[in-house]
Amino acid sequence: MADLSVNICGVPFKNPVIGASGTFGFGREFNEIYDISQIGGLSTKGLTVEPRLGNPVPRIAESKGVILNAVGLQNPGVEHFIKEDLPWLKTKDVVVIANVAGKTLEDYEKICERLNGLVDMVELNISCPNVRAGGMALGIRPENIREVTSLTKAKLTKTPLIVKLSPNVESIATNARAAEEGGADCISLVNTFTGMVVDLERRRPVLQNNTGGVSGSGIKPIALRMVYEAAHAVKIPVIGMGGISTGKDALEFMMAGARAVQVGTANFTETTAMPRIIREMNDWLDAHGVGSVNEIVNALQMN
Amino acid sequence: MKEYQAIVTACKPLTANVQALTFDIGERAVVRPGQFLNISTGNEMNLLRRPIAICKAEGSEITVCFQIKGSGTASLAKAKRGDVLSVLLPLGNGFYASEREKKIALIGGGVGVFPMISCIRAYCEKKQVYSYIGFRNKDAVCMEEEIEKSTQYTIVTDDGSYGLHKNAVQAFADDFERNTPDVVFACGPTPMLKALQSFMAEKNIPCYLSLEERMGCGIGACLVCVCTLTGGEHARVCKDGPVFNAKEVLL
Repeated sequence: MADLSVNICGVPFKNPVIGASGTFGFGREFNEIYDISQIGGLSTKGLTVEPRLGNPVPRIAESKGVILNAVGLQNPGVEHFIKEDLPWLKTKDVVVIANVAGKTLEDYEKICERLNGLVDMVELNISCPNVRAGGMALGIRPENIREVTSLTKAKLTKTPLIVKLSPNVESIATNARAAEEGGADCISLVNTFTGMVVDLERRRPVLQNNTGGVSGSGIKPIALRMVYEAAHAVKIPVIGMGGISTGKDALEFMMAGARAVQVGTANFTETTAMPRIIREMNDWLDAHGVGSVNEIVNALQMN
Repeated sequence: MKEYQAIVTACKPLTANVQALTFDIGERAVVRPGQFLNISTGNEMNLLRRPIAICKAEGSEITVCFQIKGSGTASLAKAKRGDVLSVLLPLGNGFYASEREKKIALIGGGVGVFPMISCIRAYCEKKQVYSYIGFRNKDAVCMEEEIEKSTQYTIVTDDGSYGLHKNAVQAFADDFERNTPDVVFACGPTPMLKALQSFMAEKNIPCYLSLEERMGCGIGACLVCVCTLTGGEHARVCKDGPVFNAKEVLL
């Protein structure tokens, strides 16, 4: 048995496989199928200060090798999470990462202040919402990333901060550095790519929101390249994601520089995908005589 | 609720574009009428499993019937005996008739007939089951051998080419005074469910509707398949439904 444990920003994970935000709820539903203490961690459904109803349906569409979602951050609000879900999550042996979102910088500050010290880590979702800065998405421009990171980091005196980066940007390396400069303890990437699926007969996009976030195995090569670039642009740890559905996929991301990985869409294709991915990682490491998964991190040799 | 590697035992056409797929899950299936499952299409380009109502569960064998509509259902229709498909089941709440509810009216339209068949099979020996089943035309009529297990049944077609020339809700409404049910279960296209919802609005008889929506996880985690309740809040079709009280859901 290979050692799968990793440590990110002082937080110990029994293995580097984390349920990605929005695909795993708050863990309860998946726990009806398997004990979620088997996985390293989970990133919660994106939380906002107030409850949100999200977008009209259909909220999901499919294209070859990928899916698109436009849920629109439906969530019960941070207070509901703290009261109803967090106590249950604490009974599980799993790292709890609270994914947070907001409309304004004040929203982000408020929610981080509230969660400070209550969860193991906070992950900042700055990939979809618009902010006061001229309607420009908060996660696109490096100066905005730096600002929201430093403001939220100031509130998170007891909890490590992960900044989740959007791939819909000019330079992922520049944005990764902006998060680091703003004081992020860690970055995670990639969030979904913006896309569209058309229903030809109806002459309309399938998603009621018209566009949505593309995820799934089809985005893996692009995500892997971006994780590599980001990991080589910063000194802080990187959590990689984007189309991971097998143990080998996960190890490829770690080889490219990720210290842990998140799994999203694969949870839909196969409810027990994450326990299988963990087994497959172990099997590969054993078969290759690698004692610890940490030896794989950054092991990629470029041509 | 469990994930199975199911082995296909049969896959054959029921009508020109409806396929019946039977598979074995290796253990006795405990399924309530109106529950559904989430099944992989067998094509790895389709990352989403398809949610389909369970039509029959016999021992360890389960049959679903589905319309071939897009690339996913077209792949699934090509399943061969011996193929292995990932299946998550049973999902959702299903239909439930209490002890006191002895007369059940079932209204099914199009592929909505298949969950109604699961109700007929579950209740035909214990209760009075009145079925009102609508098809597009004669060529679309299927599973009459299951429908006729009802205490009484009416088949209708949109064009009158088989059975009565009316829709399933009209057939139910026309028979309502004579065979007043204690509870009503329905599944079918949204316009059909809306017509039924409005017919039942002033009646003091419980009416339950099974809804359809595009789904992600199928277990209530991803919040993709929501519907809106009369109070304005969202409910998850996969986990809180797919069956909802007609008085509590907005269509």
